Amino acid sequence: MSTVRETVERREVLDPLETSPVLVGRPSDRDLTESLIEPVLGPTRKGWVILLLLLMGGMGFWLLSLGMTVFVGIGVWGNNIPVAWAFDITNFVWWIGIGHAGTLISAILLLFQQKWRTSINRFAEAMTLFAVAMAGMYPIIHLGRPWLFWWLIPYPSTNAIWPNFKSALPWDVFAISTYATVSFLFWYLGLIPDLATLRDAARSRTQRRIYGIMSFGWRGSARHWQHWRVGYLLLAGLSTPLVVSVHTIVSFDFAISQLPGWHTTIFPPYFVAGAIFSGFAMVVTLMVPARKFFNFEHVVTARHLDNMAKVILATGLMVAYGYVMEWFIAWYSGSEAEWFAFWNRVVGDYRGIYAMQIFCNVVAPQAFWFPSVRRSLVGLMVVSILVNVGMWAERFVIIAVTLTRDFIPGSWANYTPTWVDWGLLFGSMATFGVLFLLFLRFLPAIPISEVKELRRELEHADHHAADREARVHVERS
Amino acid sequence: MPPLGLPIYGQRAPGLETRRWRSVDQAATESELAPGEFPEGAAETPDGFGRRSFLQLLGASVALAGLEGCKPPREKVVSYVRPPADVTPSVPNAYATALARGGYAVGLVVTSWEGRPTKIEGNREHPASRGGTDAIAQAEILELYEPARLEGFVRGGRALGHVALLQELSALAKAHEKDGGARLRFLAEPTTSPTLGELRRRVLQRFPGARFDAWAPVGDDAARAGAQLAFGRALDPVHALADADVILSLESDLLALDGEPLRQSREFAARRTGGRMNRLYVAESAFTVTGGMADHRFRMRSADVLAFARAVCAELASRHGAGELAALGAPAQGDAAKRAAAVAADLARARGRSLVAAGLRQPAVVHALAAAMNAALGNAGRTVAYRPPALLDPDAGPARLATLAKELEDGKVDTLVVTAWNPLYTAPADLKLRERFPKAKDRVVLAYRDDETARAATWRLAASHALEAWGDLRARDGTVSIVQPLIQPLRASLTEVELLAAFVDAADAGTHRLVRDGWKARAGEQGFDARWDGWLAAGVAAGTAVAPETPAPDAARIAAAVRAAPPVPAGVEVGFAPDYKVLDGRYVENAWLQEFPDPITKVSWDNGAHLSDATARRLGVAQGDVIEVALHGRKVVAPVLVVPGHADDCVTLPLGYGQRAVGAVGDGVGFDAYALRTSDAPWFAVGAEVRKTGERHALATTQEHFQMNGRAIALALDQEAFGHEKRELEEHRGVPATILKPVDYTHQDYRWGMAIDLSRCIGCGACTVACQAENNIPVVGKEQVLRSREMHWLRVDRYYEGSPEDPKSVSQPLACVHCEAAPCEYVCPVNATVHGDEGLNEMVYNRCVGTRYCSNNCPYKVRRFNYLDYHGEMPTTLKMLQNPDVTVRARGVMEKCTYCTQRIERVRIGARSAGRKIGGDEIQSACQQACPTEAIVFGNLNDPGSAVSKRHADERRYDLLHELGTRPRTAYLVKLRNPNPELA
Repeated sequence: MSTVRETVERREVLDPLETSPVLVGRPSDRDLTESLIEPVLGPTRKGWVILLLLLMGGMGFWLLSLGMTVFVGIGVWGNNIPVAWAFDITNFVWWIGIGHAGTLISAILLLFQQKWRTSINRFAEAMTLFAVAMAGMYPIIHLGRPWLFWWLIPYPSTNAIWPNFKSALPWDVFAISTYATVSFLFWYLGLIPDLATLRDAARSRTQRRIYGIMSFGWRGSARHWQHWRVGYLLLAGLSTPLVVSVHTIVSFDFAISQLPGWHTTIFPPYFVAGAIFSGFAMVVTLMVPARKFFNFEHVVTARHLDNMAKVILATGLMVAYGYVMEWFIAWYSGSEAEWFAFWNRVVGDYRGIYAMQIFCNVVAPQAFWFPSVRRSLVGLMVVSILVNVGMWAERFVIIAVTLTRDFIPGSWANYTPTWVDWGLLFGSMATFGVLFLLFLRFLPAIPISEVKELRRELEHADHHAADREARVHVERS
Repeated sequence: MPPLGLPIYGQRAPGLETRRWRSVDQAATESELAPGEFPEGAAETPDGFGRRSFLQLLGASVALAGLEGCKPPREKVVSYVRPPADVTPSVPNAYATALARGGYAVGLVVTSWEGRPTKIEGNREHPASRGGTDAIAQAEILELYEPARLEGFVRGGRALGHVALLQELSALAKAHEKDGGARLRFLAEPTTSPTLGELRRRVLQRFPGARFDAWAPVGDDAARAGAQLAFGRALDPVHALADADVILSLESDLLALDGEPLRQSREFAARRTGGRMNRLYVAESAFTVTGGMADHRFRMRSADVLAFARAVCAELASRHGAGELAALGAPAQGDAAKRAAAVAADLARARGRSLVAAGLRQPAVVHALAAAMNAALGNAGRTVAYRPPALLDPDAGPARLATLAKELEDGKVDTLVVTAWNPLYTAPADLKLRERFPKAKDRVVLAYRDDETARAATWRLAASHALEAWGDLRARDGTVSIVQPLIQPLRASLTEVELLAAFVDAADAGTHRLVRDGWKARAGEQGFDARWDGWLAAGVAAGTAVAPETPAPDAARIAAAVRAAPPVPAGVEVGFAPDYKVLDGRYVENAWLQEFPDPITKVSWDNGAHLSDATARRLGVAQGDVIEVALHGRKVVAPVLVVPGHADDCVTLPLGYGQRAVGAVGDGVGFDAYALRTSDAPWFAVGAEVRKTGERHALATTQEHFQMNGRAIALALDQEAFGHEKRELEEHRGVPATILKPVDYTHQDYRWGMAIDLSRCIGCGACTVACQAENNIPVVGKEQVLRSREMHWLRVDRYYEGSPEDPKSVSQPLACVHCEAAPCEYVCPVNATVHGDEGLNEMVYNRCVGTRYCSNNCPYKVRRFNYLDYHGEMPTTLKMLQNPDVTVRARGVMEKCTYCTQRIERVRIGARSAGRKIGGDEIQSACQQACPTEAIVFGNLNDPGSAVSKRHADERRYDLLHELGTRPRTAYLVKLRNPNPELA
């Protein structure tokens, strides 16, 4: 009788659809736990410290830019009339789009019982949270008077003025705050059993106390597990519509306006596809180095990366379809201004950015048709970074480039960013990086309990397979 | 928060200090001011300048209050026991006065709040303005409050009080008595003031050897010299455009700068609509406002205009029976001949109803030719008349200045009293006035600002603003206006009247007494008080106009002059042009005018060397390239500004920029074209060399795209074509299809609306500055304009049509059009922009959080955003300038045209108190009131009799971007052109 590992390896050869395992080997519970809490409880690594300091420098730049923006005014940006939204909203939509992968992986794939989501969901959810945090900053600081942002929230004020529900911006407030809240709850709920594991494994009293408080007294009883499981599924169900709704509403910011280039009914699905596209690209961008650095190769396998590459390819095709439809409708509508706006993207002053958008979002992901690229770490990194760049370019083209040319030529003007604009873009990336590094260091990035559960499920499947094989063997003999 | 040195106007760190109430300089001299020397308020710290002080200061502006003028100021201040009958707090008063332009009066009505003037309007009674104003007149109010203006009197570094100054001036005058003033010279601004005339007479009586010279860098000396040539007398031509069917402008910018542009443009515009449309031909080099209105614009070097005029003469003589012009004419070749033939035929067809006008940049001989043509066409006495100039100095050209410079060089001048604006800067370069000026021992300079001449003075005297001083001026037709002050001088300062009076020891009487007594003597004692009050109230003295004359031109003399004119060589011509913003440079420190986009090029905060596209390409330069223009060994470095329609082989340099001694506003703005200007070629010279330097200079333009890209934005049609194309306009008006039931506003008492007639609009931009003054619109500075953040609520877009070499132009004033279905309103998340029940699209500044979504969704892009704290910490004087009826907006809020809602409300209060409805035309928006051509009307659309209702029903009416279904309340009327079919 063959060992489990051999069986797995053999299946790899036998089944062309199951190309590589979602879990390498069948390590024991103890092995899994130890390997997965090692990054949290183990010694601080030099590379981590250096990277953190580097990113904190970028975060300082971000704080400086934020300070300039709030204390001096958004005139420190390059925005103008007609381009009243530029990097601010571009960055917002970009970050919120990146935040989509988390919920998709956690909720939808959970409901569809996709096993390969297990090892990467925590990671993706954390990325979602931090991306939403970065994104949520922009709508507030982009206001002329950011200290009054709460006027967008419906509350019974004494002067009886409510937000204008016809405007898409209050919807944004609801959509983003709901999304942030549910994502956080979902993420935290998933963390509780692992926090308890950390508490139990903690080496110092302080750690034990902190993880103890954070794990809300989890003891791992059957009743705990039952409640936990129900809650987790419920939250997954609750999150599912959010995957679609958030970016739909973000797209309404543009679609309900009447600008040529914004006033487009395809925006909601096209934005959602773009969001998942960029979100998965970001997960890959972060996961490839992280699994190497923290030795997660056995739980985050080539299979995971391969699947994510396929999602990127699929959503990339949807995005490309969106581009084609935009052009078609611009032509089909017979609207002169609309047609001009699209040509302006190609031949106007910002044609370089449009070319980048098309190359990165349409051309580059086609590499994922080739399995060798999907398995190559370098290939994955290059394409996923290109997709992130391309999606930022797409939002810039939609938002800023559209605004540079609308109806009345006398009012047209271009947009040039200032150092503060760049500071807010790169600074937010650095801040995101800081948060992510802290997450990797202080919380288990791979869900320990879920991986252990996955191992059981796989073992179960293995037994069935082994039984089947044994029967076949007996019959043959 | 400390100043950050941000690139915002007024907050630039180095400029900040000089823009304060007191400069460091002034602080140094302040201690020497005698206590009690200055009127209450003027010497107070800014913080002490409260409402009460203004009420007290009001005395100066109220003639009826019986105060005896401004100087020496009264020191007794008694609070009101009973308030003056005509002053109600929070209700503004209006006073008629006048400002000088080229020495002539422009009649104004100034709004004053409890003694604080805030807004200038034209005076309908005045022959030169007829109620309109231009951008410069609108901006004069900012001059008054300019924080960087001069203060006090300094003699050789020693500060003097008012009394001490008069004493020392008296002593200076006495010293000149022994040789009869042989070494005393005055260099004055040309003026028409009878009071100054009388004073000059008295000065010359005391000092028979003294002499008054006048100098104006931009003036119509050539017109008078032309009259001298044609008629043997220096006369001012007066053009009546109301009766002119065909107008030929020989580089005359008669709608913006030449003659009486406000009246002329109004008369011209009235003939652009309706049945008898006039036709305008313009021959010019640089693109002017007048050229923009031309039905046919012939671009040519300024030097070639003479040949064109002669070609027209030749045609008139040979084909249209004007034999007396035969000796003047010289037929042209090629295209020019065809044009001349068409123009001549058209002029001849409209005999007695045509007009030939020559521009101030053209030499005397062209003016003489124009006079001869007008006489031959029978226009004299109908569309053109001649009047003896009301100016005390009909000749203010370089010749007189050259004489003075020579005397200075020879050491024949001990005392030079300068009241002309900054002659050291404006003088022709060959006169070397900068080197020669210091040769006079006593250099008395009366200046409004610390300019180059003031800095070279030994006596630096601060001048009062015209709104602070009594005076008198005459219009071109001789009509007298009394200049009455609106406010006590804000700074210790002197008037020209007082300065001259000091030379005859009469200054202590004060300007008011000098002016009034002079008129008492002239007009007679009987019933004088009532008449004087009447003059003040009306702004004009009735019956003071002079009858025009129609002398016969001396063709032989003109012919001799024409023959004597040297042939024009080929080569690159350098032209000098007065600037629409700073005129001759005197407004270079005016931030409103600096920010005001040039009507043609839309450049703000700069001047550039205008080149045609073809010339630029030939020279291998593009917009923003810095070139060096050399003329007879003198050089100037200027950025290229490519102007479609500019004449080829010609570079036009606007005057007035690049001043060396200026304040924070004008510092480093533009280049100095005077450096190339010499007394023999004041306006143009052929033979320039242009070289690319390789450097670049960023020009801040408020409009970057001058093509309509085939869109229906500013519609312009030929009159003939309009007849059969007007049906297509139906696509651009009427009720747009919608699935939503539109709100019905017709049941309301008022449905406010506006109509802008593009046929009338000359694109001068007076509306832009009027709106700025009325609505407390901040100035943002060049860096911000480069970032496209100018704040003007009303912009004038300008589009070129036709070939880029020789385009036609359309100007389109565009402010918020107050859509009934406003795209801005539904996207505002906080209900900060909402619809009023009378149809106003209202902006609630307090509620605005600054998402800017409204601007993004505004298809007209007329909303303006306070990206930074543009008003900042205003100096006190600038606070005084703000219209108290209008909120001063903070950082981070959106703003836009309100249809002057404050004016609506003010009229509504009056109407309600009187228990009546507001009349359909009772309210005038600020832009409408300023518009010299009555292109803009505002009023109640629910009143079928109102002017705006009639225009909305006009067959030329269309709605901008009608297809979007926004239902704008501002309607546009198609611009009509009247081209000559022979030139098609």
